[in-house]
Amino acid sequence: MSTSTASLNQKPLARGIRSTRGTGLSTQRKILGALFALPTVVMIATFFLVPLGMTFWMSFNRWPLLGKHKWIGLENYSTALSDSNFLQALKFTLEYTVIITPILLVFGFGLAVLVRRGDRPARFFQSVYFMPVAIGLASASFLWLFMTQSQIGPLWDLMRRIGLISATSNLFAGHWSSLMVVNAMVTWKVVGLQMLLLLSGLQSIPDEVSEAARVDGASGWQRLWYITVPLLRPTLALVLVFSVAGSLLAFDQFYIMTSGGPSNSTITAVYAIYRNSFIQFKLGYGAALSVLLMVILAIVSAIQMLLLRNTDHT
Amino acid sequence: MIPRTIRVVAVATTFGLGLLAAGCSSNSGGSQSASGNGTPTGTITVWARDAEKDFMGNLVKQYNSSHQVQAQLTIIPSANFVQKLGTAAAAGNGPDVSSLDLVFAPYFASTGVLEDITSTYDSLSYKDQFVPGHVAQSTWQGKIYALPFTGDASVLFYNKDLFKKAGLDPNKPPTTWAEIRSDAKKITALGKGTYGFTFAGACGGCNVFEFTPYIWASGGSVLSDDGKKATLDSSQVTDALQFYRDMWTDGSMPSAAETDSGNQQIPLFTTGKVGMTALGAFAIPSFDAAKMNYAATPLPGKDGGTASFAGGDVITVINGTKNPAGAADFVKWATDTQAQTWLAKNGSAPIRKDLLESVYAKQGQPYAEVAKGLEVGKVPFSVVENAIFNDNNGPWVKMIHDSVFTGNIQAAQSTGQQAAQKLIDQAS
Repeated sequence: MSTSTASLNQKPLARGIRSTRGTGLSTQRKILGALFALPTVVMIATFFLVPLGMTFWMSFNRWPLLGKHKWIGLENYSTALSDSNFLQALKFTLEYTVIITPILLVFGFGLAVLVRRGDRPARFFQSVYFMPVAIGLASASFLWLFMTQSQIGPLWDLMRRIGLISATSNLFAGHWSSLMVVNAMVTWKVVGLQMLLLLSGLQSIPDEVSEAARVDGASGWQRLWYITVPLLRPTLALVLVFSVAGSLLAFDQFYIMTSGGPSNSTITAVYAIYRNSFIQFKLGYGAALSVLLMVILAIVSAIQMLLLRNTDHT
Repeated sequence: MIPRTIRVVAVATTFGLGLLAAGCSSNSGGSQSASGNGTPTGTITVWARDAEKDFMGNLVKQYNSSHQVQAQLTIIPSANFVQKLGTAAAAGNGPDVSSLDLVFAPYFASTGVLEDITSTYDSLSYKDQFVPGHVAQSTWQGKIYALPFTGDASVLFYNKDLFKKAGLDPNKPPTTWAEIRSDAKKITALGKGTYGFTFAGACGGCNVFEFTPYIWASGGSVLSDDGKKATLDSSQVTDALQFYRDMWTDGSMPSAAETDSGNQQIPLFTTGKVGMTALGAFAIPSFDAAKMNYAATPLPGKDGGTASFAGGDVITVINGTKNPAGAADFVKWATDTQAQTWLAKNGSAPIRKDLLESVYAKQGQPYAEVAKGLEVGKVPFSVVENAIFNDNNGPWVKMIHDSVFTGNIQAAQSTGQQAAQKLIDQAS
């Protein structure tokens, strides 16, 4: 779940630049401003634009780890479109995204409503729910891998005691059961962040609006659906884009917990890119798959933004 | 690759690929050549994997204290050793010497990363003592590109206490597949969560180490000798898969086997819950620490015969070294009697038959069996060995997994054969 904070910073930055327009700055001050911006520009160019350009360039080559690379035009892309392993990985990634996103949204919203009151106990639980966010995804994966391991895992043992599974069950032997274990881990791990984001959204809705609706006789559900949700739309959009992008880029949790199994049925798109690049040493092909995934991610994010755009914003 | 190499974490984010591939290490090579009288001098850099950290540090110290050449050791995480060495060598800033998992030797030799050290090899008085598996892996188109360095070999370990309890003779280990199967059934029949046999059903490296010997011992193969043709659809492979499948349907394996990526065999065996499992010498310290009453026996073929996988490392001089004389001196020393005797006594099997017999085998019964295995051990020779066999999502482990746990052996074999052949064809 790697998400960049760069996108978050872009808006205020853009606004800041726009607001200086037409204020008649002296050339000297403009140069000074440019100098202040320079370190950021250099950082973005070095760590974002150059690797991105490099990835594009590599994707048009047959690029082995060792030996000479060779320009092959679009061949990597045409191979990718008929690569059943990659298409299967994409399909699984979508499946995972479609399942995990609503789970996170519902649980995140539920927790946000629970801790909304903001009194002492609520703040205590808010910290408790948020705590797993501070753990690394890899560490959390190893932790859950151990806890759910057959015969030795405490969580496995608990599930066996309450009769959910049998004494010979192996949660990672089935596609659905492995996926569910990963979903549980990811929910535990990131729901706190979703809760926090949604909580800040909820708190920015003025009480008066809800109050007025209540006076007008709206029920709790009506207020939730007609008042809270629409006003929460910008936050919902943010949370959705975050969680969908994170899910589409999932790698660590599957690499560590399921190793792509059983029988390669939980290999995600990034996992497939990793295997092509660093196990089969086809770096050019891996780059082409990365570009394809980036395009898919851009399209999906754009669609979400369009759908959730605040059309009735005043 | 020895199965103890459990891959830990490799985090590759999508858009970082170019960055990862482009700019890795900047460890510049060592310097300067031989002095006037022909004794090598100067410094060299040596790379090794983290799994070798303990003994490599000590070996380098021993070398430095007795030589003019001074070696400097860098330990690289196992998980990305190949990528690091490859990118560094390609950029001209690799080490002078590198220890290397022997399965990767053909790949690096074929891509020009390794220096031709045939003359160094020929100058060694004990070259005929080298174990054949390591030498075969070090040879590319008739030239020698590496020297054998550390060894291990696969054998079948069995729990003598469980054998006794099940009414079996603990001094008569199984010598055919039918005997393994029937012994496993009897041990499983003891009940209380006891199983006759286990293997790592989701681990490629473990199974090339532990499963190919059954095929070899039965006269079969998994690749042609030149590595150009996959033979995963051959009849001996079918039989070996059926053998494991039968033990699974007998109920002689724990459910953990299905998803074991290599870290459960040892704990299952040391807790006394499993009668037999194939592993290498790397497991012996854990068994001894658990005060097990156990022994080792060769991995048998279907109706007899034995075979073993030769694992471990070779040691190489990296092409482009600025101190070839110093590097050659180090790799020579790493195979000599002093270094290899020290290794034999400190946990790694030596790669010379003379020392295997005179030093290593004397340390106890399991060591003697490993020594015997290593003397005849084989490795599938291929520049894409890693992608076919060691990759936990590769064609080899998928074929075994699907055959043993779902039973559709024919389909699994044909899928595996096609995928393996495709990897070979793409690389050539």
